[in-house]
Amino acid sequence: MTIWKNYFLAETVQEALELLAQSEGDACPIAGGTDLLLDLQQGRHPPLDTLVDLSQIPEMRQLEIRGGKLFIGAALPLNRLVESPLAQQHAPTLMDAARLIGGPQVRNTATLGGNVCHALPAADGTIALLSLNATALVARLEQRCEIPLGELFRGPGKSALDPRREILVGFNLPLREAGQASAFRRVMRPQGVAIAILNLAVWLQRAATRIADIRIAIGPAGPTPLRAVQTEAALRSQPYQPTLPPQALEALLSESRFRTSPHRATEAYRRAMAGVLLQETLEVAWQRTLDVENQDD
Amino acid sequence: MDENNLIKMELTVNGEAVSMIVKGGRRLLDFLRDDLHLTGTKEGCGEGECGSCTVHLDGQSVLACLTPMERAIGCSVLTIEGVGSPTNLHPVQAALLDEGGVQCGMCTPGMVMSALDLLERNPDPTIEEIIEGISGNLCRCTGYKKIIYGIQQAAQELQAASPAGTVKESVE
Amino acid sequence: MSTIGKSVARVDALGKVTGESRYSGDFDLPNQAYMKILFANRPHAIIKRIFTEQAEALPGVLAVFTAKDVPQNEYGLSMPDQPVLCGLGSAKPFADRVRWIGDQIALVVAETEEIAAKARDLIRVDYEDLPVLTDPLEARDNHEVLLHPDRGSNIFCHYRIRKGDVESAFAEADVIIEGEYRTPVQEHAYLQPEAGLGYIDEAGRVTVNVAGQWTHKDQEQIAHALGLPLDQVRVIYPAIGGAFGGREDMSIQIVLALAVWRLSQRGINRPVKIIWSREESILGHHKRHPYWILTRWGAKKDGKLVAAEVELVADSGGYAYTSTKVLGNATLMCTGPYDIPNVKVDAYAVYTNNMVTGAFRGFGGPQGAFAAETQMNRLAEALQMDPVEIRLKNVLREGDLLSVGTPLPKGVSMPEVIEQCAVKAGWEVLSNDRSQARAIKRSRKDAPENDRGSNLKCGMGFAAAFKNVGFSFGAPEQCWATAEIRGGAEIEEVVISHAAAEVGQGVHTVIGQAAAEAAGVTLSRVRLVTSDTTVTGDSGSVSASRMTFMAGNAVKGAVEAALGKWYAEERPAIAYYQYRAPRTTPLDPQTGKSEPNFAYGYVAEAVRVEVDTETGHIRLVDVITADDVGKAINPQQVIGQIQGAVVQAMGYTLMENFIQQDGFLQTGRFSTYLIPTVLDVPGQIDPYVLEYPDPVGPWGARGMGEMPFLPFAPAVVAAVHDATGIWFNEFPLTPERVLRGLGKLS
Repeated sequence: MTIWKNYFLAETVQEALELLAQSEGDACPIAGGTDLLLDLQQGRHPPLDTLVDLSQIPEMRQLEIRGGKLFIGAALPLNRLVESPLAQQHAPTLMDAARLIGGPQVRNTATLGGNVCHALPAADGTIALLSLNATALVARLEQRCEIPLGELFRGPGKSALDPRREILVGFNLPLREAGQASAFRRVMRPQGVAIAILNLAVWLQRAATRIADIRIAIGPAGPTPLRAVQTEAALRSQPYQPTLPPQALEALLSESRFRTSPHRATEAYRRAMAGVLLQETLEVAWQRTLDVENQDD
Repeated sequence: MDENNLIKMELTVNGEAVSMIVKGGRRLLDFLRDDLHLTGTKEGCGEGECGSCTVHLDGQSVLACLTPMERAIGCSVLTIEGVGSPTNLHPVQAALLDEGGVQCGMCTPGMVMSALDLLERNPDPTIEEIIEGISGNLCRCTGYKKIIYGIQQAAQELQAASPAGTVKESVE
Repeated sequence: MSTIGKSVARVDALGKVTGESRYSGDFDLPNQAYMKILFANRPHAIIKRIFTEQAEALPGVLAVFTAKDVPQNEYGLSMPDQPVLCGLGSAKPFADRVRWIGDQIALVVAETEEIAAKARDLIRVDYEDLPVLTDPLEARDNHEVLLHPDRGSNIFCHYRIRKGDVESAFAEADVIIEGEYRTPVQEHAYLQPEAGLGYIDEAGRVTVNVAGQWTHKDQEQIAHALGLPLDQVRVIYPAIGGAFGGREDMSIQIVLALAVWRLSQRGINRPVKIIWSREESILGHHKRHPYWILTRWGAKKDGKLVAAEVELVADSGGYAYTSTKVLGNATLMCTGPYDIPNVKVDAYAVYTNNMVTGAFRGFGGPQGAFAAETQMNRLAEALQMDPVEIRLKNVLREGDLLSVGTPLPKGVSMPEVIEQCAVKAGWEVLSNDRSQARAIKRSRKDAPENDRGSNLKCGMGFAAAFKNVGFSFGAPEQCWATAEIRGGAEIEEVVISHAAAEVGQGVHTVIGQAAAEAAGVTLSRVRLVTSDTTVTGDSGSVSASRMTFMAGNAVKGAVEAALGKWYAEERPAIAYYQYRAPRTTPLDPQTGKSEPNFAYGYVAEAVRVEVDTETGHIRLVDVITADDVGKAINPQQVIGQIQGAVVQAMGYTLMENFIQQDGFLQTGRFSTYLIPTVLDVPGQIDPYVLEYPDPVGPWGARGMGEMPFLPFAPAVVAAVHDATGIWFNEFPLTPERVLRGLGKLS
């Protein structure tokens, strides 16, 4: 069965943008393709005239420190991310998440860019990036801009990006400083492309025994990936406690809108797991701030 | 590109140059099975869950059911047909055969390809690493134990044969 | 030089590891056309009209076939209650109804698969929806909505056992345990979706190259539907990618033959290929029966069982398939391998509009064993007795009578299997008294106290089961083999022709070993010709754990007969041999009295689990399984089957959550129906292969492919109870269900 008519392997972002703009029928960029091809075959995406493959564009496969930030190309395969010492150092939460996506074959192909553009409220890479305060570098024909990651989502499966006009080139993440660490955990162990029941990412800044600053992302907890800002407020500046403080749990359950999915999990289960997951992820992140202290930077 | 969506597929498959004009817009799996008649790569689910369509693209294991065929142009593809031969099996194939890691056989080509990828990256894997290495491959018959053990045996054999050598040397 | 008992390499493994083995979807013939099927996708409705004109007019479409094109529009393994194609214009009464979303309406044959699919989507069907029955208990009593209006009821099978007087016995009991259990649906999920290539062969036979479990039954069903003599139909099986009972019934075999045959009648002599997607496979073939079981068991203080009463209702979906036979098994096994003087069983198979249900590894055994073993474990708890000890007190021994009033065939090893499994799992035998009831207790050192502070709780559970070998209850049972011995002065080659389907279980290798042994040659001198109705005799199905037993005896007989001719100087020496198993008898309609089976396998399992009471996740730490296989003809294959059955049972018990709503499928893909990956496998699977020879089995072999499956779910439920104090009467034990059971979800 044919799924698209025209296929182009772009060599540069500019070329890709031009191809997308010029296409007569419906066009879409593809990075790894593990989500998009499925959506096309299973009828969740309308049929395509043109597919523009971004997976080999060099600038979209970089992973390096640039201008005081960690740049991760949107088309970098997840296995490269998982192997990267830079990512390990500055974004362990992203490593945790990437390791849980699919199996080895999927990780050889799937990308963060694809994960984010698929715009699912519980996409593992997306949740991790959100907690890291990542920004997205978006290219249009005329210009490029940098957008906070949270602004890329309109609803479940609805990216704010226009696939005919905009390409997500990569992500900028702040570098990790002393006392900072991050972690990601999810409910459900890896199985192919099946999505998780619940996932959660924590970034925090430790000051002695206190949580000086914290960011929490959780999904699926609403139509878009959620930054749990009320929960963050309940924990910020407080001493770290191994047992989740009741006010933090209350905040989490209040700002998360859990739903019952037809064959995944009920709302009640997600509510029960949210606190457990936060407590566990928080503990791992906290422990990492202590470990990091003992390492040579 | 014309009305019939014909494209030129030029690539290397199992070490041999391939050049064909075929209909584009399909998965690499369809090109391999329907155009090249290499039916060793299987379709078990069509959605990236079962791993029975695993092949190597430029030396990395990928799922042929989720790979656009055009992406393989100019690349090197390795399928099960390019691994060993009936009279000279690759140690992974031989080990699965010897250790009872084959029952219905539908998962076997994919398992072999994933095992090869694993051993290439990690010639001396622990049991946990073997398990992770085939975590993208479903089997409904064996319960996985004999497959894990077979891969372990193959790794040991490869290490003993050429401690500094790579998997590629045994692959035809 | 004996080959029996040797772990020889599988005869088909070489082709499978090189990718050379071809499955039915891997064949192509020149000029082949492609077929797609229109499914009903509607659970219960009357077809008013089918509009095929647009589809037929699409360029590249060769034909569209509907019910009117099927000469005898019916099939069914136990009763012909299913139309081949639902619709109008055939003589089959009520064929114009769809009773399940997977009913087939039309076949489209076209130049390419893509065109066939497009054309299929252009077919419009006008339906009149009927009320949808999804609750088998409700359907049982519903006399207004009849799925098969030619029957007076939605109950199409009712078995009874009446042994002794349960009411009086209950009055004398010291403890009575009642249980209401529900076992789930399960999808086979064999890795190879249905596929086939149909063509007219060189002798003019309508031929299908497909995956299946019984070549001759497929042939018979095709011939019946097409109104052709048997010898005009040919069925061939190449390599088959798993079955587990799921290929026992019809899926594409008949419709593929129909398409080829009808096309040839129109002067279009072209092969036709069909491959199902995974979605079509899950939609289009039958599932494991979910059972509702209400049961009451009574015992004396000392643990002796006095009575068991069981009511079972099987959700059989829209058509009978093999529901009657599954029901028979469940009827026998719902009281377990125990000597119970008073038994009352009522078992019903009921039509509903849910997914059709049929054969799946265990075949009613897992459902029956779940109830029986959980009842035993709960009785043990109530009596404060050890679960192994109470079993040994009641276990059937040689000469004891089954619930159906006859003794088990000779070679009963259930007590030994239970004891050996227990000892391996840490039980200690406390007395050396070799009399009937052994004192046996789980060793204290092996039952660590659960740390009150930790959310991880450990537990151990035990269960036992017996599994029939063979078709049961009087179903005709036979197996043909042909042996041809070639050579001059010495035997050079032994050619065995056998129809047995090699679905992955290793039967072709067993056949090879049996032939080598019987002929006194090495395996390398044996050649097999397999699974082709034109050259291999009827072998019966690969199901009911029967094929090693039946084929082993058939091949032995054929080779011995051929040897007789060989020594009489015939060259080549050819013998055709039909092995017939000892007679079995059907359930008496009133009492259930019968001789149900000629052989059994016996199994016991102990499972250690760790339950995370915070997340509901269950980790399988260790599975100890003791299996009496009679004789392990190929020990490596036997262990492979045990491991495979255990992991499949693990999926059934813990994670395979099949969801249907109002007759519609919610979990129709591998991304929504999750089967075990390598990450889910229990830490340890310890198989103990026991060999208490079966007196009638070939070299003492029984059958064993199903039995490790049976005790697994009840053993896990018992282990979870040991860990948490909660009895679960439903599964799969997904984390959510566990948390709910622990009272942790609002």
